[in-house]
Amino acid sequence: MPQFDFANVFLPQLVWLAIFFAVLYFAVVLPTLPKLGRTMQAREDQVTGDLDAAEAAKASADKLAADYDAGVAEAQESARAALNAAHAKATKSLETKLAKADAKLAERVAAAEAELTEARTKALGEVEAIAADVASDLVEQLTGKRPTAADAAKAARAVAG
Amino acid sequence: MAGPMEQFAVKVLHPINAGGYDLSFTNSSLWMAIALAAVSIFLFVGTARPQLVPGRWQAAVEYVYDFVRRMLDENVGPEGRRFAPLIFAIFIFVLACNLLGLIPWVGAFTPTSHISVTLGLAMLVFITVCIVGFARHGLHFFSLFWPKDANIALGLFVFIIEVLSFLSRPFTLAIRLFANMTAGHVLLKVFGTFVVSLGSFGALPYVFGILPLSVNVALSALEVLIAVVQAYVFALLASLYLNDAINLH
Repeated sequence: MPQFDFANVFLPQLVWLAIFFAVLYFAVVLPTLPKLGRTMQAREDQVTGDLDAAEAAKASADKLAADYDAGVAEAQESARAALNAAHAKATKSLETKLAKADAKLAERVAAAEAELTEARTKALGEVEAIAADVASDLVEQLTGKRPTAADAAKAARAVAG
Repeated sequence: MAGPMEQFAVKVLHPINAGGYDLSFTNSSLWMAIALAAVSIFLFVGTARPQLVPGRWQAAVEYVYDFVRRMLDENVGPEGRRFAPLIFAIFIFVLACNLLGLIPWVGAFTPTSHISVTLGLAMLVFITVCIVGFARHGLHFFSLFWPKDANIALGLFVFIIEVLSFLSRPFTLAIRLFANMTAGHVLLKVFGTFVVSLGSFGALPYVFGILPLSVNVALSALEVLIAVVQAYVFALLASLYLNDAINLH
């Protein structure tokens, strides 16, 4: 194997390896990689910062949403209260109006009833007078003698009974 | 026909002799240079103008970098970030060498199939671990080898085993990568020769070459996987060794 021919292959390879590796490390890797490492670090920092900012923005958005929900709930509550109050007020005024109307109506009914009773009493009285009159007429024609008004009224009242 | 080992032959492209030492520029050096160039293009284009919203190149570089950083975070902890460029360089260099060596071209060469190269990289890891360990903990670093709550006899026994295992780390690290790369390329080359020899069967040409060819297609996919996995394993073990040096148990 040529690899074990150390007398001929060891030193030249080792020396050129040292030269090329030194060039690689000092002239290629060291001027380039740390620069790239800084860029990667900057990116990482920016991503972390952006994530933090996004998280903060989300928190504030959540707070806004919660505030909004609370405001809506409050407005709904007050609207419901106002509605209930208006409802109660309307019911109450309707009730008073109804009571008033009922009272008026009852008054009128009572008046009408009184009038009716009066008219009936009056009418009955008149009917009695007519009956007495007719009875007197009948008695006069039958007997030729007219009974007294008091007797006629008495008889008529007895018949009406 | 070339033997399966010939692909590992180091050929001198430009002889260099410095003070009696042979430092020739070889095909191995050339492919390390190509790997370096490929990685350089990848990194320089990907990080030319880093933007918060990355383009394709930047996203690709970031993906690999993030992969290495996460590996260090998981295995070493926050202290490991400092070594991300080093582990990244090792990972991407091994990965580039592994993958470029798989190009099915006769001139392709895999530097990581040479133990000289993998041992160099492993020694880099080993020396870094030793420096970090002694710099952070001083002589206390030796407590890495001493089992907690053990009596002297057992402690000494375990100490010797732990020291040996620690010292063998660069070699296991180097041999694992070298052996994987070498075995894969040998296998590909062996089945490649089967394609030629069976396909040139006189009475019925080409037909019998199909079987080893389809095996080679499957093996190529496997080798791409192994190239990535071995680069990952190398970097992972390097970060685990670093963890030992940074966080003493």
